[in-house]
Parts: sequence; C-alpha cells; structure tokens
Amino acid sequence: MNCDWTKENIVLYIYDELADDAKHGMEQHIRQCPACDQELRSAMAFKGTMSVLPAHEVPPNLLAASRMKLQEALEEAEQSRGWSRFAFDITGWMHQIKLAPALSLALLITGFFGGTLTTYRIVGSHQAAPAPIKPAAAEANIAAVESIVQDASTNRVSIKYDTLHPQVAEGSANDPLIQRLLLVAARNNRDSGLRLDSIDLLAKAPEDNGVREALIYALRYDKNPGVRLKTLDALKGYVKDDVHVRDAVLESLMHDTNPGVRERAMVLLGPVRADMSVREALQVLAEHDKSKFIRSESQRLLASTPDLD
Amino acid sequence: MPAELALVQNLVGSKGARTNSQNSGAMVSQALGRVNDSELIRAAQRGDRAAFEALVRQYDQAVLRLALHLTGSDSDARDIYQEAFLKAYRHIGNFRFECSFYTWIYRIVTNLCLDHLRKRQTRKEDSPVMIDSSGQEIDLLDRVSDDRAGANPEKDLMRRELGAKIAQALKRLTPRERMVFELKHYQGLRLRTIGEMLNTTEETAKNTLFRATQKLRGVLATMR
Repeated sequence: MNCDWTKENIVLYIYDELADDAKHGMEQHIRQCPACDQELRSAMAFKGTMSVLPAHEVPPNLLAASRMKLQEALEEAEQSRGWSRFAFDITGWMHQIKLAPALSLALLITGFFGGTLTTYRIVGSHQAAPAPIKPAAAEANIAAVESIVQDASTNRVSIKYDTLHPQVAEGSANDPLIQRLLLVAARNNRDSGLRLDSIDLLAKAPEDNGVREALIYALRYDKNPGVRLKTLDALKGYVKDDVHVRDAVLESLMHDTNPGVRERAMVLLGPVRADMSVREALQVLAEHDKSKFIRSESQRLLASTPDLD
Repeated sequence: MPAELALVQNLVGSKGARTNSQNSGAMVSQALGRVNDSELIRAAQRGDRAAFEALVRQYDQAVLRLALHLTGSDSDARDIYQEAFLKAYRHIGNFRFECSFYTWIYRIVTNLCLDHLRKRQTRKEDSPVMIDSSGQEIDLLDRVSDDRAGANPEKDLMRRELGAKIAQALKRLTPRERMVFELKHYQGLRLRTIGEMLNTTEETAKNTLFRATQKLRGVLATMR
C-alpha cells in the first residue's frame, strides 16, 4: 500500500466497499502516514457534511396521492403479453357477459347492507349525505389527519382527515376506523399537536400490538420531545414484559437528543436494571455520558443492582 | 481539519447515530429482505392486479423517496413513480427472475430519473424552490432544517446554509455521477448493486463514485 493507492481508494474505504485485506492494509498505512491520515479525516468530514442534506421520509400526502393516481392508471393499463395480447378470449368474454347481471346485483346488495350496518358516520366537507368509507379504499384515501377532538363525557372521538375532500369520522375510541386514523395521525402527520392528541388516545389501548408498534415508532422517530415523553409514559407498563418496548426505551436513554426524554427513559428502566442489556448500557453511561445527571444516576442504579454471580 | 470534523460532528450528531445513508440503508435492506416476491411476481405475470399492487406497496416508498430526493419536486417525483410502476406493470411479463424485483424496479426508476436529470440539465434549472403537490412554492432548503422542538436556531441556520451549499454542489455533477452518489450515499446501496441497476460494471460504478466525490469535495472547498 502506498499513498497513491490510498488516495484512490479512500472513498471506497469510507463507504465500506473495500475488501477486508485491502481495508486492513490501508489502515496500517494510514497509521504510519500523517498525510494519508489527514486525507482520511478530510474524506470522513466530507461524508458527514453530505449527510446534512437529509433524504427525508416521503410526505404521507404525496404517497397517498401517488398511490391513488397509480391505481387509477392501472385500471386503464394493459399488460404486454406478446402475441397473446392480440388473441380474443371468447370464453372469458362469454363468462363475463353471463355473470354481469348477477355481479351487479351482488354488488348492489353488498353496498346497501354495508352502508346500513356501518357503525360510524362520515360527513363530507360539502355536507352531502354521510357515506361510509370502504375499508379497502380507506387506507389509500387517507391523505392527512387535520384534527382530533375528544369528548371526555361521552368518550366519543372526532377526527377530521383529508382524502380527496376533507372528511370527518366519528365514533368511539375503540372503533376500528378511529383507531386506524389515530395510527395514521401518530405516524404521518407533521403537526406535533396532532400527534400528541393521537398518542394520548392511543395510549389508552397499548395492549393492542398495532398501537404498541405505533408508540414504539413514535418514541424512536418523532421529532417532538413532548410526543416522545408522552409515548414513554404510555409504554411504561410494558418495559418489564415486552422486550421490544425495553429495547426502544433503552435506545432513547442512549441516543435521544433531549435530556428530559433520556431522564424519563432512565426512570422507566430502573425496575429492570438487572437485565443484561440495561446493565451494560448503564455501565457505559456511568463512565462516559456527557450529562452529569445521567452519569450519577447510572452509577446509583448500578450500585443498587444485585450482582448476577 | 479537526475543526471541520468537529463542526460536522456537531451538526450531524457526534455519534452519527442515524445518518441518512444508515436510515435508508436499513430501509433498503428491509426491502431486499423481502425475498418471497416470486409468488407475487408470477401472479402479476398472470394478470393478477392485486398481486402487482402488493408488490408496489413493498417498494413504492423507497422508489418515491429516491425520486423525491433526486428531483426535489413532489410533482416530478409523483410522475416518475407513476411512470415507473406503469412500465413495470406493462412489462412484468418480461421479468425473468435473473435479478431481484427490487433491482429491476430500481433499474426502471433510475433510468427515468436519469432522463429527468438530463432534461433539467439542458434547462439549467438551479432554483432552490420546488413546487409541492398543491402547486405552492416551497423552499427546498426547508427540508434541511432541524425542526425538533428546542433545537438551537443558530445551529439550524448553519445546517440550512450548509444544506444550500450541498444542493448547489450536487448540481455540478453529471446525471450519472449524481445517480451513483445518490444511490451510494443517500440510499446506502452496494456498488455492485448500483452497477447492476445502471447496466454497468461495479468497476465503472466505483470510478464514477470516485469522480463524484472528488468533484463535490472540490466544489464544497471553494464555497467555504
């Protein structure tokens, strides 16, 4: 390995594209060569700099709109099937013609009873007659959640959300549609107040796996520390028994950027401090954490943890 | 140099815990991990639209994310998304399982994005303003800001300024260099996969990445 080779391959090194032997050789060379060491630092700084321009997650509105537009286009699209596309499928055509009236009638009956039996009411912004959303279409239709209002006296929840036209759904907090909308609001909306409202409501049913998954997601990725704090409180009862919850809380303790969230995570992990992964994390924090409080609290928890041997 | 490194670490986060490429790399590997696409593909080849839509749902966020980051425009990204999946639907009968579906769909998307970048290069668009889905102009650099509550406004301003420089520097790359850099740095793909997607060799992808990083480092150095 020499300086020229190192300079030509340093990009591959920082992007982890070098074979193990070449990587080892480069590391040895860099240890002995200040100029190449400088080059490596410069390349690493460049890589860090480029990460400042983030590749954000896709806005939910854009994703929903794109899916809907694609669905419409697929209705019209035909697959290319070589010569077979020119062949006329007589049996299929006869079959379709024969069953068309029966299918129409079946659809009509299903639509009628589906509309009658539905438990929730959806009011379009144009105040047209309430029409239920077909569950299959609902997911693609939900573009964004606008607001959540809860009536504490009746335990009713009212959520305003966008499809192609803004709509309002009302029902109990346990209603499947309300739950689905709350999950959409918790994960996708950019309005942190809205996320707080949805987490607040979802926190009442953390025993549901889908809800717990959404809470863990919010704890890991929500940008608002208030939401993350609320999520921690909602997950409190599951730190002991659910290893995924414990891992997520541990991750918050180690990496969250907000000191308040980290301190709260530490309180939650106190009762499970004998757990191997928690103990290891506390040992690291007790020695190296930049926060004096976290260091001293970690030391205190470790001191009060019984030895495993 | 240590000062520069410190600044970057300060801006990005000293642990670099959740960088873009790591995040997207995780997303990509998650997508790659879905190996059991064969049944869906075969059903889609028989004309089962529901099966094709199931395939779309697995990969469409990654596709839209790539298109959005490369074009910087909601409407262009949506057009590319639409065209890519329609092409895939029309020609899925030609899919011969010689590569993963993921590589195949990404090959279609990268080709469309390259066409878009080439067209844009000839139009010399360099405005940091983009049009969102509702037709409103938004500052591309808003995407750079750290909107965590309690974030330091001064630090946020520095991030935005640096983001502006990076966006300008990326525009100096050729479409192909931009694509290789995007797929490597922001999407976290292996150079071998990138080569497959761009119908070229791993060696060529390496050389292109080298040229792209050299150019970017040079441009960013002159901007300081």
